[in-house]
Amino acid sequence: MCGIVGFFVKDGDGQAETGRTILDMLRALGCRGPDSAGVALFGAPNDGRFVVRVKLGDGGDLKSRAWQVSAQLESFGGTSHFSTIGAYARFLADGQTDLRRLTEFVESLDRDFEVVSIGHCLEIVKQTGSPENLENTYCISQLKGTHGLGHTRLSTESRVDLSHSQPFWSHGFPDLAIVHNGHITNYHQLRRRYEQRGVRFYTENDSEVVAIYLAQQLCAGSSLQEALERMLRDLDGSYSCLVATERQLGFVKDPFALKPLVMTETADFVAVATEEIAIRAALPGVYSVREAQVREVRVWQR
Amino acid sequence: MAEIICGARPAREINAEIRRAIAAGDREIIVQDPGARHNLGVAILEPVRIRFVGSVGYYCAGLIDGPRVEIDQSAGWGLAESMMSGEVIVRGSAGNGAAAAIRGGTVVIHGDAAARLGVSMKGGTVLVAGRCGYMAGFMGQKGRLVVCGDAGDAFADSMYETVCYVGGRIEGLGTDAVIERPSADEAAWLDSTLAQYLPGARRRGEDFQKVLAGRKLWNFDKREWKVWQEAL
Repeated sequence: MCGIVGFFVKDGDGQAETGRTILDMLRALGCRGPDSAGVALFGAPNDGRFVVRVKLGDGGDLKSRAWQVSAQLESFGGTSHFSTIGAYARFLADGQTDLRRLTEFVESLDRDFEVVSIGHCLEIVKQTGSPENLENTYCISQLKGTHGLGHTRLSTESRVDLSHSQPFWSHGFPDLAIVHNGHITNYHQLRRRYEQRGVRFYTENDSEVVAIYLAQQLCAGSSLQEALERMLRDLDGSYSCLVATERQLGFVKDPFALKPLVMTETADFVAVATEEIAIRAALPGVYSVREAQVREVRVWQR
Repeated sequence: MAEIICGARPAREINAEIRRAIAAGDREIIVQDPGARHNLGVAILEPVRIRFVGSVGYYCAGLIDGPRVEIDQSAGWGLAESMMSGEVIVRGSAGNGAAAAIRGGTVVIHGDAAARLGVSMKGGTVLVAGRCGYMAGFMGQKGRLVVCGDAGDAFADSMYETVCYVGGRIEGLGTDAVIERPSADEAAWLDSTLAQYLPGARRRGEDFQKVLAGRKLWNFDKREWKVWQEAL
């Protein structure tokens, strides 16, 4: 049992209080997953540059690790605006940066380092504990943006740490994030297939394969709608998934409708969540909410 | 009449206040701002009227025997589960498993119903103005399930004696489900029931498809291998 949420502002300049909305939605779902909480927020683009977030570790001397990354990035070149907060280093990378090379470079500096997100607009922040912990450390409520995802996790099959928390970014594919509630029952089969093609898995969490699967589909030229529809064919199990790209928010509900997912759409916004209580807690007003139907796929685009 | 403001209170306190109002003799209770909380209005055994002004979460009006429960907006999973008698009216849509295992009474959904509507129902009547999702009516043992719009896949799977009526298209029948035309009496019952509960549905009883168990699945002899095989 986990809680997932998505919020999408239809118009505007990216200054909506998306962080506040996602956080309020997550707080209402906190009882669905006390192990970890995380958000993927899409803000205004940074003049064509990439925002890079790096996990420095789950503990220990994070300050000296941050200093290590900062110093080494100077030799890599093309990066700027380095800062640290909590367990993360954050910096900007030139738009022409080879993302795979950058990721490999950063992760080679220390075995605890992991590039958690890269995107023109995307930033992922997650940690163990409640949404309240996340707010206390990272001030999520202050973040503005066009859309975003959130997740509260109840671990069932894999470790509880920052890397195993959600949202997941598909390494190498900028501005793609997913949150997932459920079980992918052919995970090991899919993982083996991807690993044979050289794809690296960072966790034992079956949700990670969703991000990898969708990135591969999008790289092959599929639209997000097509990729989510194919997912129903290729991924077995019971799942509700939310996906966000630079300009899109989408969801897919499994072929047996075993995991909850409700949605509402108004003239101004779209909100999707595991339970309606999350939407009502964050978004006052008069609107109708309905449960997604079996095999339903929806994508909204700015 | 009693009015209960939910505010920031937990469901347990709200339910306790509903019970106190009933014990004090109130026969009409209005619950303001339920905020899609779970487990509201469960196990009410008195013929009172309870109105939730807003949405409710999971298992609202479960295990009730006698009250009329009205929900102004939508309802989450397990609406009216195992109710014995009374009425549950939802002005919006309902989540998975609405009216599951009901023994009696009437559940009315003005919007759509998600998956597993009326599974294992053992009596009562379920009316949906919109469409219903996957596997509605699964293992229904008795009672009537009426869907004015379209029905999802695996409809009426493995049923016993529940009888279903569908006004729209059926995406796919479940195991052992068969379609018949409703009789004149059944069409008249549909007309009068819809006129009472869903006058806006604008469906004529004779236009519905009747779906019931073909009885090949549960009325077989284990030595009749061929019959059993065909039923599957």
